[in-house]
Amino acid sequence: MKPAYEKPVIKKLHTGLMNKFGRSPAYARKVRRDIDGVAIEDLVAKFGSPLFVYSERTIRQRYRAMHTAFSTRYPNVVFGWSYKTNYLNALCALMHQQGSVAEVVSEMEYDKARALGVPGSKIIFNGPHKSPAALEKAAREGATINLDHLDELNDLEQVAHKLRRHVHVGIRLNLDAGVYPQWSRFGFNLESGQAMEAVKRIKSGGKLVLNGLHCHIGTFIMDATAYARQVAKMVAFGCEVEKAFGFAIESYDIGGGFPSRSQLKGVYLPPEVALPSTDQFAEAITHALSKALRPGDFPKLILESGRALVDEAGYLISTVVASKRLVDGTRAYVADAGVNLLFTANWYKFNIELDREVGGINEHSVIYGPLCMNIDVVDEGTLLPPLTRGTRLIVSPVGAYNHTQSMQFIEYRPASVLIGGTGEVDLIREAEDLGDITRREKLPKRLAVTGGGGK
Amino acid sequence: MAAREGACAPLKPLHRSGQILMSAHLKAIFNSYAEIFFLHGAPLGAAIFVVTLANPGVALAGIIAVVAAYGFARLVKMDQQFLASGYYTYNPLLVGLSLGFLFKLSALTVFFVVSAGVLTFLVTVFMANVFQTYLRLPILSLPFVVVSSIAYLASLRYTNLLVRVQHDTPLLTTDLGLPFWLAGFFKAFGAILFAPSVVVGLLLCVAVLCYSRILFLLAALGYYTGAMIRDAMFGSTSHAFADLSNFNFILIAMAVGGVFLVPSLTSYLLAVIAVAVSTLFADAMAGFWSLYGIPAFTLPFNIVTLGLVYVLSLLRHPMVATSVGRTPEETLEMFLANRLRYRGQDRTLYLPFAGRWTVWQAFDGQWTHKGSWRYAYDFVITDERGETHRGDGSKLEDYYCYNKPVLSPVRGRVAHIVDDLPDSPVGGADETNRWGNLVIIHDERGFYVELSHLAEKSIRVKKGDWVERGTVLGLCGNSGYSPQPHIHVQAQAADTVGDATLPFSFVSYSDGDEYQANNVPAEKRVVEPLYRDKRLDNATNFVLDDELCYAVRRDGKPAGELKLKVKMAPDATFYFESARGQLYFGKHENTFYFYRVAGNDPWLRQLFLALPRMPLACRDGLTWHDYVPVGLVASGLREAVVGVLSSVWPKLATVKVTLRFASDNRVESVIEAGPLRVRKTASVDLDRGKGFARISVNGLVFERVSQPISPSP
Repeated sequence: MKPAYEKPVIKKLHTGLMNKFGRSPAYARKVRRDIDGVAIEDLVAKFGSPLFVYSERTIRQRYRAMHTAFSTRYPNVVFGWSYKTNYLNALCALMHQQGSVAEVVSEMEYDKARALGVPGSKIIFNGPHKSPAALEKAAREGATINLDHLDELNDLEQVAHKLRRHVHVGIRLNLDAGVYPQWSRFGFNLESGQAMEAVKRIKSGGKLVLNGLHCHIGTFIMDATAYARQVAKMVAFGCEVEKAFGFAIESYDIGGGFPSRSQLKGVYLPPEVALPSTDQFAEAITHALSKALRPGDFPKLILESGRALVDEAGYLISTVVASKRLVDGTRAYVADAGVNLLFTANWYKFNIELDREVGGINEHSVIYGPLCMNIDVVDEGTLLPPLTRGTRLIVSPVGAYNHTQSMQFIEYRPASVLIGGTGEVDLIREAEDLGDITRREKLPKRLAVTGGGGK
Repeated sequence: MAAREGACAPLKPLHRSGQILMSAHLKAIFNSYAEIFFLHGAPLGAAIFVVTLANPGVALAGIIAVVAAYGFARLVKMDQQFLASGYYTYNPLLVGLSLGFLFKLSALTVFFVVSAGVLTFLVTVFMANVFQTYLRLPILSLPFVVVSSIAYLASLRYTNLLVRVQHDTPLLTTDLGLPFWLAGFFKAFGAILFAPSVVVGLLLCVAVLCYSRILFLLAALGYYTGAMIRDAMFGSTSHAFADLSNFNFILIAMAVGGVFLVPSLTSYLLAVIAVAVSTLFADAMAGFWSLYGIPAFTLPFNIVTLGLVYVLSLLRHPMVATSVGRTPEETLEMFLANRLRYRGQDRTLYLPFAGRWTVWQAFDGQWTHKGSWRYAYDFVITDERGETHRGDGSKLEDYYCYNKPVLSPVRGRVAHIVDDLPDSPVGGADETNRWGNLVIIHDERGFYVELSHLAEKSIRVKKGDWVERGTVLGLCGNSGYSPQPHIHVQAQAADTVGDATLPFSFVSYSDGDEYQANNVPAEKRVVEPLYRDKRLDNATNFVLDDELCYAVRRDGKPAGELKLKVKMAPDATFYFESARGQLYFGKHENTFYFYRVAGNDPWLRQLFLALPRMPLACRDGLTWHDYVPVGLVASGLREAVVGVLSSVWPKLATVKVTLRFASDNRVESVIEAGPLRVRKTASVDLDRGKGFARISVNGLVFERVSQPISPSP
């Protein structure tokens, strides 16, 4: 095929210079021809583009590594899979198979876990919005409920009254662990005495039994000592509660927020250098825990890790559909996946790999998504050689939050596949079609569109 | 909130129809009669008493001696509980019978019998204490032999005592037309109570047979073994079978084969040997003793039985019964269940780490756990490929267990630490300081635990610190004689580094998916310690006077109400008391147990069956096994047959219960006794507060009716 004509531009080249990694930025390439041994081209040929691809092997490895890091340092560790991170059934089932319980933050997620076959007793129900009906369902089914506010406390007391039995609950705390901004909008504040008031309120109501404490200090926490401070404060509070009110705190749920190997925008160092290792987090947390707890006492330590387990297992394959030159001379590409699928593009700089070797000199390029919206930018500037239409861009890590936050907006949502441990590829979510979008719509008869149009 | 719905009705007064109600005194006296045949129970004693009445003079003398001894014991304020068992009064009974056999009853004879009864009691208490303290042996009927011999010797000079003229009724003399070898057996049986009569012997046999088939069979075994040996020796068959001292053989066989040893092929063989040995004794003594005009009484039985039991105990013979039941059948049943039920040692350790580790070297290991150091364990962490390291394993950091916390396996005080030795490189080993960095903890139960090869400068405790189970001691390293990072743990008698090791076992851990309450894992097994789960611990935290009340349904139809109340026994064990029985329970090393059931409540037996034990730690899919006494699944004739046959075929009495956590508050179990073709299923739902909300065993359902005990104090 004859190359398309392109208006010439002049670019300054620094030939012969090396960057600090010993390579010339003009020729550095990141190429990925396969995921877990399955060729990109085969995946696209079978399932289309764009395409979410998850690696079962990576998920299991991450889970084992993280679980071992904690469980070999503290003898009573439970993982709660944070559904909101990615609630594709296959991935949730994978997590449950690894031994995780479900951590849900809404009635929808609760129902989803139940529909998947998870018993109520293996669900942790968090979040600021739990309707009285949802609370009743959860209480009936023996779920672990963590209260977020006093109104919910009242609602649950009503439920207990209705069920004619005590209901066991946890409360969510917010506290100053040295992480800013402090997430004070969730739960009861510890330092101001709100949390103790809530415990008093539970005690005086006589219908609920406090048996757990929950706290989640934030997301993508890059400082292990923050967790140590959090744990110390939680356990001190738990001991105080046990002493003052006679409740037995059976579990400390320290939330999640552990970072994945994602590159935050504005962070200069690569994640391998900037972030503490899983072992460092585990060491800090368990050390603080055993220092704070009574000797010989091992309440359950619950971790609600999401991103750290799944992010690196997710890839999005997209295809270059067009290339352009912007008016300032910058090279730009239009890909078939944009912020409709990559919500986290707002704060992470993705790793973008090509499916093939491409010749030519790298150029500062912008990658746009397919939306007819100005904000649809996947990457504002990255070094890429001249790409032709049809080149696949493999974006990673995208396992966390991208699927759950992807929008049906302008485009159809694509398929998701899971590559198994032995290279088998399973379709875990079909690509959407028009039916998915119009199924719930009702068109009043008088507005029926007739072939002729107009009156 | 919610009102107590349908609270239990108060316990109804107990009507035990068909059971003889007798005063405590009478019970105590009758118990002495049963004790002679190694059995317990006042009803049996009463029956035996009635049988002795066939010879009223003898019977009267017997009861006078017992009453005298019992009265004296009350006078000197002996503890009622010891007395009630009959253990201290059966010797006076025998003495009384022996005197009644010799003399006609008169005022003077009564005095003589009373004095002899009191004397026997004194000798009994004295000898019992000396024997128990110095020999750990019971006294059997030695006091009887001593006092009766004394009384017979003394009586040689008491010419005022009227020798009894045998006015035997036909009841006592008739042979019922039985052949000599059968008549001889029953006579010998009767002779135990100084009534060498076929009728008395026959009645006693029936009484014994009702209580224990094994004892009866042993009696026959003993008698015929002894009689046949005598037959061969004497050359006179009728003489050999009719010899009255043959009752010694009966007693020896019963005591050795069914009482002091657990009934089994071994015990039966030993019983035969003991009888054979005793023939020498019996005949030697008969000759010697008769010089002084006294019979040898039960001396051969006493000497042979005590001698054998002493030797077997000294050699720690596995069949020596450590807990003796009311009958040999019961001893056997407990033994067979407990042998499988309780494994492991008294020196119990938790695994010295958290998470899943792999046994690298167990007891008597192939590399270093040899000789004096055979009782030791080594642990490493392995991955899904079975490797202990990532990469090529050339650096210590490659090893999964390197720098992982080492936890204290016991409660105790830190006796010694070494902290400053460098970690050896992989493959290298420090020959000089073999044990590397280590912590030695003194466990107050009387031993030390040493944990070795910790990482340099990683130890977080110091000498004199008190540590609990699970306290972090330091980090796993590679110091000392260690080719790759691992934890070495051993129990030892002293606090010196690398002292000779003692056997121990691990408690509360999972081996694969199976819970082990107290055991030793095999090499290459993946094990994980399980620590107390507060919820399960609270759920089983039954305190005195807690009440659990259940509506019972059988196949859906109401079958009554079961009310349980927590009580404490004098030995500080706890039990649930129902109207008809006791279900003993307890917690040991992180496991909740139903230990045994006493009394006559079939529902308590079902509860025992449904949940013989439960770990106080829950893991997904955790399973465990237990074994329960066969009496829980077999009854009546079946139980009687199994009771005898299981002594030679133990598998017959194996009742295995397989349990698992179906969820974190539901246990499901399968009860199987293969050879008996029993298979039942059961489930137990735990109450979210305390206790069991619902128990279902094969169509029988116990539903908690009262509001759970308020979990908030």
